[in-house]
Amino acid sequence: MNLHQAGVSLLKALSRHSDLIMQTYLSGSLNENEHSPKVIDKLMQLGVLWRPEPDAELRLKQAVRNLLESSLHDERNRQIDANIGSSLAGLKTLAQHYKEALHLQKFSDASAYLSDLTEHVYQLTESLENSVRTLFSRINNEFGYVGSIDAKIRENQLAQEQVSELLNQLEMFQFDQLSIEAGSNRELRHLLVVTLQQSFAKVTRELAVVQARLLALLGRFREFKGRTQLLKGFLLHLEQQPDFAPKNYSQFSQVPLLFNQAKAIINPAAVDVFCTAQEHDLQEIVGKLKAIHRHQQANIDDSERKAQQILVEQQAEVEFKEDILKQAAEAYFCQVIETGQSLTALDYLKQNELAFDAEAWLYQVIGEYQSLPLEEQSYFAIDTIGHDHPIYNGNFVIQDLELGLR
Amino acid sequence: MITEQGRVLELLLSGQFICQISDEDAWRYLKTADNNQAIDGQLNTLNRTLATAAEGEVFFAAYQSLGDSERKILGQQFQEVASHLQPLVEWLLLVQQAAGSDTPISQGSAIRLTEIQASLEDTPAFAEQLEKISRYSLFGSTSSQLDGQLKLVFKRLTDLGYVLKPNSEKQIYLATGKIDYLYDVIRFIDETEALSLAEQAEQAVQQGSLI
Repeated sequence: MNLHQAGVSLLKALSRHSDLIMQTYLSGSLNENEHSPKVIDKLMQLGVLWRPEPDAELRLKQAVRNLLESSLHDERNRQIDANIGSSLAGLKTLAQHYKEALHLQKFSDASAYLSDLTEHVYQLTESLENSVRTLFSRINNEFGYVGSIDAKIRENQLAQEQVSELLNQLEMFQFDQLSIEAGSNRELRHLLVVTLQQSFAKVTRELAVVQARLLALLGRFREFKGRTQLLKGFLLHLEQQPDFAPKNYSQFSQVPLLFNQAKAIINPAAVDVFCTAQEHDLQEIVGKLKAIHRHQQANIDDSERKAQQILVEQQAEVEFKEDILKQAAEAYFCQVIETGQSLTALDYLKQNELAFDAEAWLYQVIGEYQSLPLEEQSYFAIDTIGHDHPIYNGNFVIQDLELGLR
Repeated sequence: MITEQGRVLELLLSGQFICQISDEDAWRYLKTADNNQAIDGQLNTLNRTLATAAEGEVFFAAYQSLGDSERKILGQQFQEVASHLQPLVEWLLLVQQAAGSDTPISQGSAIRLTEIQASLEDTPAFAEQLEKISRYSLFGSTSSQLDGQLKLVFKRLTDLGYVLKPNSEKQIYLATGKIDYLYDVIRFIDETEALSLAEQAEQAVQQGSLI
């Protein structure tokens, strides 16, 4: 029970200092200033931490690191345990112990040996599966843990070496010998032949896949590298020979397919207005066209723009006439102010022999009056002279205006 | 309704490159041997034939037999391609460097414009390089703003069919098979003119030249 208690206390220590252990796992070494020396001493005693050299920093023991790597499926784990030979030798020895114990009828010893043997067999199969899984996880993310293509190529080569190493080791499985070793014992047969053979078959199958995938990946990495080099080389070449121009390959007697690219010949088809089936669609399109047409009138072509300029000049001319009219109307107002006499607009028109149209003149005078500020309007009295419309009541026909001072 | 065959034929006759990225349906259609032959037969009527590049991943229409007029057209096209090479190669390397990856742009590569822009803005050397690239007649930018230059470059590349924007809302571009075609062109020039470009690049790296 002593061992049990020691194990429990070790695990408890691990859980109590889990933060420290994970930090050390991730950063590689422990920063001793951040933690109390007591805790560190305890962990060193338990064999969780160790100091590789007197001056070196504290590190995690390999066993703890392995536990974390395999449980967390950490891709940084690149270790492949390929020492199958010694494991197999160990298995054979244990099998011999077991058989001897059975022969001597020491059954308690025999069962201890058997459980030991079972443990070792499962350990071997697990380590094989683990190795394959590590390889796969590295392939699946295409060696994502290293940045450059060159590093990926090196990682790939390492993985390939590991695969061939593993395959070499797997050759040490000699099932005929294991079968002889197991003899007619059912338990031994199950462990040494059936279990190991299943695991062996599975691992070899998967390793074949791994190998193929690694080669394919290596090809891709090389292709990437080749392409980048091609691009860089091309630019370098242009730098060294700025006037470089490739020969015109299209004049070769045999034009390379790469430069034989036919001209685009398809143009949009024309509308068939007599096709009744399309009538509805066509109408919709025409409807849309109108809208676009109106919209486009805003920005018309040059010839129409010139026409518009002429219009602007004409407007200026009109304004000029109005200007005279306005000046005349102002003069009329001034005369009324100066003389202080009331004067009808038409009389003023006749007196001054102005050439304006009478109606336009009257409108201008009214307009002039209306455009005065209210304060100034109040100085003038403006009277309309006229009559009601003979037919439409409510309409008043203005014939003349009389302007005076209030 | 137009049949798939008609649609593919139209794409080819309008001078398009068909790859898995640009038009997956058409690409799959052409990957089937029977369809491939049928299309080729129809193209033959118009003195054209179905051609592939980038290890059979990109399809386009080529002339079946070359007369003087065809050669003239191909000559013009070649001049165009040759004049596009330098700006395109510089652009490919810039995007690759700005994305901080060792992987060259190839068919299906996603180019995130915002990421590229951030990287270009942070690195004056990249920004200068972009300005230089955008001034080539291929792109013809007059903008002094990095944002404008970058957008114009990508717009032109989209027009030319080198990249496409699957979602108009998002600033993510996908490289099409035409990029792979471009690699083929450079590789062909490399081999035909015996330039040994890869070796030049390798030597430059060994000599510590900065490219």
